[in-house]
Amino acid sequence: MSLLDITDKNQAVIDYLITCPSIFNSALYFNFINAEDDSTQLVTQSNDKFANKPYIDGSVLKVYSLTLITFKSAADIAVVKSTGYPNENVSDMSDIQALIDWIQEQEEIRNYPNFGDSCIIESIGVTSNNPVFNGIDDQVSPPLAVYSITIEVHYLDISKKIWR
Amino acid sequence: MPAGSFNLSAGQRAERKLLITVAEWSDGNTQVREILGTRTEDSSIDYNPDIETTTDILGINYTDLNKTQPQQDFDPYLILGGSKLGFKLNDIRSRNALSELSQFTVYIITAFIGSSADGYAAEKHTGCTIAYNSIGGDANVNFPISVYFSNNITNGTVDKLSDDFVFTAAT
Repeated sequence: MSLLDITDKNQAVIDYLITCPSIFNSALYFNFINAEDDSTQLVTQSNDKFANKPYIDGSVLKVYSLTLITFKSAADIAVVKSTGYPNENVSDMSDIQALIDWIQEQEEIRNYPNFGDSCIIESIGVTSNNPVFNGIDDQVSPPLAVYSITIEVHYLDISKKIWR
Repeated sequence: MPAGSFNLSAGQRAERKLLITVAEWSDGNTQVREILGTRTEDSSIDYNPDIETTTDILGINYTDLNKTQPQQDFDPYLILGGSKLGFKLNDIRSRNALSELSQFTVYIITAFIGSSADGYAAEKHTGCTIAYNSIGGDANVNFPISVYFSNNITNGTVDKLSDDFVFTAAT
């Protein structure tokens, strides 16, 4: 795979994700950490080439993945033990859950990023049903909670097929 | 006719995609072709040799190869959008029209012999049978098939590696 292909896939995923309202409405960084409330970072993953699945016609099933990290200001307020009483941390987590739901909706309607003519997207999804809570940075004010999800795009690379 | 050697560098391994199996059948007045092996990870032609070995009183073995019955399995063979053969076989399955399974011509193209200029070496088997073995699976519909080659062979070349190739018999 050439560097150009890698760049194209990253850009394709960015172009795709910014159509999600919760991504579009927050500051978005790529392979850069800017820890502030409501900011989102896309961090590329190294995709294990041994996970590639080659087929006898020369096509290869591959996985592209990247992790989306979101910072949310965290409140040190205990959950009020009263039904329906909101908690800031719970609602922040719901915002990230909305992104997971959005990706699942796109999968259902088969709306995928555009990886070009040599790739056929099989599916897009997240590796967990809930965002991962990575911890709290309490050295800043307000403290920041860090959540992450990993997005995987399964695609068929047909660039090496010789039968046309 | 292609040159008498592989089109590979010394020691270079032939990639699996260079051994191509193509099914051909008639759909009315038109011939339809499709490469086999889309989404199949591993498939080989098994020759199923019928071997008879005798040993004389001196302990020497004499082996006769009476016949081969070549067969190639494709599992998984997924029901895929745009698959002409999958649609054809499923239609035959739904009508249980078993005799229609034996009307295929199957080409084995060895693309590691020859070139786009001279043509690629190919074997044309007429009167082959393609049988479906099951249908179902887990996440996706799998419809594994087996190709039974007729051994009614015409050797020749194909001019290109696509469904619209022209087969030229060797003289």
